Amino acid sequence: MQPHRMFIAVLFLCLATVGSRADEAITVVSWGGVYEDAQRRAIYDPFTRATGIEVKTAVYSGGVAALGARADKEGWDVIDMIEDQAITACDAGLLSRVEEHQVAEDHETTAAADDFLPGAFRTCSVAQNVYATVFAYNDRAFLGEKPATVSDFFDLKRFPGKRALQRTPDVILEWALMAEGVPITQVYDLLSTDRGLRLAFRKLDTLRGSIIWWQKVGTPADMLGDGRAVMASGYNGRFFSASQKDGAPITIVWDGQVIGYEVWAIARGARNQDTAQRFLRFATAPEQMAALAELIPYGPARRSALSRVGLHRKTGVPMRDHLPNAPQHSHRALYGDSLWYARTKDLRTKRFEAWLRGE
Amino acid sequence: MTGNEQTLPPATASAAYRICAMTICALVIGLGVSLAAIAFVEAVAWMNNALLISPRMRVQFDGSPWLITAATILVPVVGGLVVGVLLTRLSREKRALGPVDVLRSVQLALPPPGTRAGVLSTMAAVVSLGSGASVGQYGPLVYLGAMMGNILDRLNLRIPNFAAIAMSCGVAAAISTAFNAPIAGMVFAHEVVLRHYSIQAFAPTTVAAATGYVVANVVFERDALFLVQFSGVDHGYEFVLFGVLGLLAAGVAIGFMRLTLQCADLAARSAISPVLRPACAGLAVGITALWLPDVMGVGQEALRFATIEGAFQTWELALLVIAKIALTALCIGFGFAGGVFSPALLIGILFGALCWMLVDTTGLLATSGIVAYAICGMMAVTSAVIGAPLTTILIVFELTRNYDLTIAAMVAVVFSNLVSYRVYGRSLFDVQLARKGVDLSQGRDRARLSAQFVSDFLVDDVVMCTPNDPAGNVSRQAASAPWSEVFVLDGNSHLAGVFDTRNGAGDTSDPVSAFMKPVTLVFDETTTLATAMRQLEGFVGDVIPVVDAKSNRFVGMVTETAVIRAYLKATQDLRREENATA
Repeated sequence: MQPHRMFIAVLFLCLATVGSRADEAITVVSWGGVYEDAQRRAIYDPFTRATGIEVKTAVYSGGVAALGARADKEGWDVIDMIEDQAITACDAGLLSRVEEHQVAEDHETTAAADDFLPGAFRTCSVAQNVYATVFAYNDRAFLGEKPATVSDFFDLKRFPGKRALQRTPDVILEWALMAEGVPITQVYDLLSTDRGLRLAFRKLDTLRGSIIWWQKVGTPADMLGDGRAVMASGYNGRFFSASQKDGAPITIVWDGQVIGYEVWAIARGARNQDTAQRFLRFATAPEQMAALAELIPYGPARRSALSRVGLHRKTGVPMRDHLPNAPQHSHRALYGDSLWYARTKDLRTKRFEAWLRGE
Repeated sequence: MTGNEQTLPPATASAAYRICAMTICALVIGLGVSLAAIAFVEAVAWMNNALLISPRMRVQFDGSPWLITAATILVPVVGGLVVGVLLTRLSREKRALGPVDVLRSVQLALPPPGTRAGVLSTMAAVVSLGSGASVGQYGPLVYLGAMMGNILDRLNLRIPNFAAIAMSCGVAAAISTAFNAPIAGMVFAHEVVLRHYSIQAFAPTTVAAATGYVVANVVFERDALFLVQFSGVDHGYEFVLFGVLGLLAAGVAIGFMRLTLQCADLAARSAISPVLRPACAGLAVGITALWLPDVMGVGQEALRFATIEGAFQTWELALLVIAKIALTALCIGFGFAGGVFSPALLIGILFGALCWMLVDTTGLLATSGIVAYAICGMMAVTSAVIGAPLTTILIVFELTRNYDLTIAAMVAVVFSNLVSYRVYGRSLFDVQLARKGVDLSQGRDRARLSAQFVSDFLVDDVVMCTPNDPAGNVSRQAASAPWSEVFVLDGNSHLAGVFDTRNGAGDTSDPVSAFMKPVTLVFDETTTLATAMRQLEGFVGDVIPVVDAKSNRFVGMVTETAVIRAYLKATQDLRREENATA
């Protein structure tokens, strides 16, 4: 019996150690670069100060595949995701289901559901900020007339030069239809038809030969900065940082911006779900959301946080002017339909790959 | 009652009261109708999504083609069954109600079909549109508006012409809300429903239309139905092309209207039970939609694609125009609840785009692009179908705020209307009404007179006799009557002749048959005031006999005075309505 008791005792000891380690550290996965720097300052460090729990980080470039391949192996707990990918991952059983009260707290007298933007809570995720996929251009490339609309992005005659685009069917198809004169409100309805897809790819054909594909989110700003491309698609926060911090000659065009929700989700295999939820409650508090928006221009996903956003912590730039959901940018903004995105991903990818092959 | 009394207007409250009450009613109607119209459109959109009719939902199930195929065929069929039950089993009217009923009620000053029938018809329209039937949403919305206007009529506010104006307010608010076009809504109410212009009706319809616009546009911030960008007409000669397009569009519109009515006749003649008819049309829609998904529902996506160059091949456009015309005619004829307005818009825009492609393919003429032709075609076909040239021109103006495009559309609309009016009739509604015996083509007075029957004015104390009665006795019996004619009936109650007591028969005991004369004018229960007035020309006498049209038996008589008095009253009522200020 002795060895047996000994074994149980050791087992308990091991479990206790694992448990206490989980309390002490949490692995948060995000996109790296300036975005993660901002998150560290606005959320991770304050979280550690408040709770004593260390925040370890891992970097990924989005995608559901990465989650399946790396989450368990690297011990991912909390993941910063694009909403439609979170929906797909949730359907695939890679994420934990979360209840509203587990991941967000009410703000004073306002219930969390009323304070967050519509549709912020999904089965496995909670919205944290609003980002926009925009296109930007290199100021020096166009000395006279400057691009101002989505149509200009496709206008190689007036604005010649390479376009840097993410190698996915996301956003670019929406822009193609907008450039055909389709009103913002009808873009997804039309893109849902075979005819709409054909039209979008026909428009994309006009850029064939002038596209450089990018895969990592930091790349487009670099491509504009070093002159490899004259226009590029990318996330508004990255372009902002490049122009503010590095002084790159980049101007964002807000026309046709596609707005998406960035969400927090908890990996199914996370060792300590309670700590992960605790982290989410902390990260989605208005203070942290506003603090993040003062470092990088991603709009907070709750109203009480939006009103707190002030000047950039270092440069003193009024940050509310640079948020995608600022009123002056929103009249030609397309709110991405995450559910549609998630459910049509295969179809769009199939068509996109076929187009890439020149079919 | 004397003739003098009839010329006085009916007793009403003060002008200030009437203006205030009417304005408040217009506001209430505008508010109610616009909320109901928004709810209607939302309900249809919700159903389209839930039942996999909308492309946006269908594409999300792209991985399960069997599910899409099943939904495409089953949803319109089951929707048709539900519509069939709603209309033929539960509604007393046994059919869907629409603009024709509003028009009839307003023009003839008759109460519209009951609210229960209206509500059932509206529900049937939601189900029809929600399950993808090829019908329009504006017809049911127009009826919904009129029905809500008519509900206020029950308050009995002592305002002359209230029912007609209240219904027009509802119609104006419905169109204003649906199109985000208040001016068009107000004009539609006058052009299609009221058919006259009076200050009394103008003010409230405008208030209702503006209220509908405010609710839809400012409160709910709903998007306009259709937005297009258009830089302008580049070449002067294109206006000739727009005119020609208008002429061709008239042909399309006439074909569409004819087929719609023929399908209704076909349905009536067919052996298919009325409850199953919509399901049959639904099956046709479903099967066609497997290859041509654009034919389902209102077709918002196709409407947009038609304005984009290269979205359709020429043959695709031609096929879609034909399919949409055939299926809409089938759906409406076979009893789905819905209108012809939106299908006409779609057919027209596809036809306009087709014409542009044909011109463009020849390469002979430079044009300003597909948009102008698509919009011209859209409005030219629609205006001919609904008989509302001014409304359609204003819709273009309000939706595009583009002056060039409005003028282009105007040219097409005018020629289209001219031809279709001459060849076919003012609108599908007018032709449908004329088939029901209400012919508005000769004017409102004529229609209203045609809706009143002389048999409503039968005289109670009729003196009759048989041919063998002694003339003296008959004369004595008739002495107290204010007229001298006595009708002579045979044993089967058939008219044998007329005996005039003033003919000096005196106390003779000779039979009446010796003195009677043949009857020169006979009315029956189908004789309308309009026909009666025409036939009375040259008639000498006080009373006219009325017989049963089928059996030819004598049923009574009317006095010439009563007929003329009814005629005067009808024309006076119309004159008062058309010149009313408050």
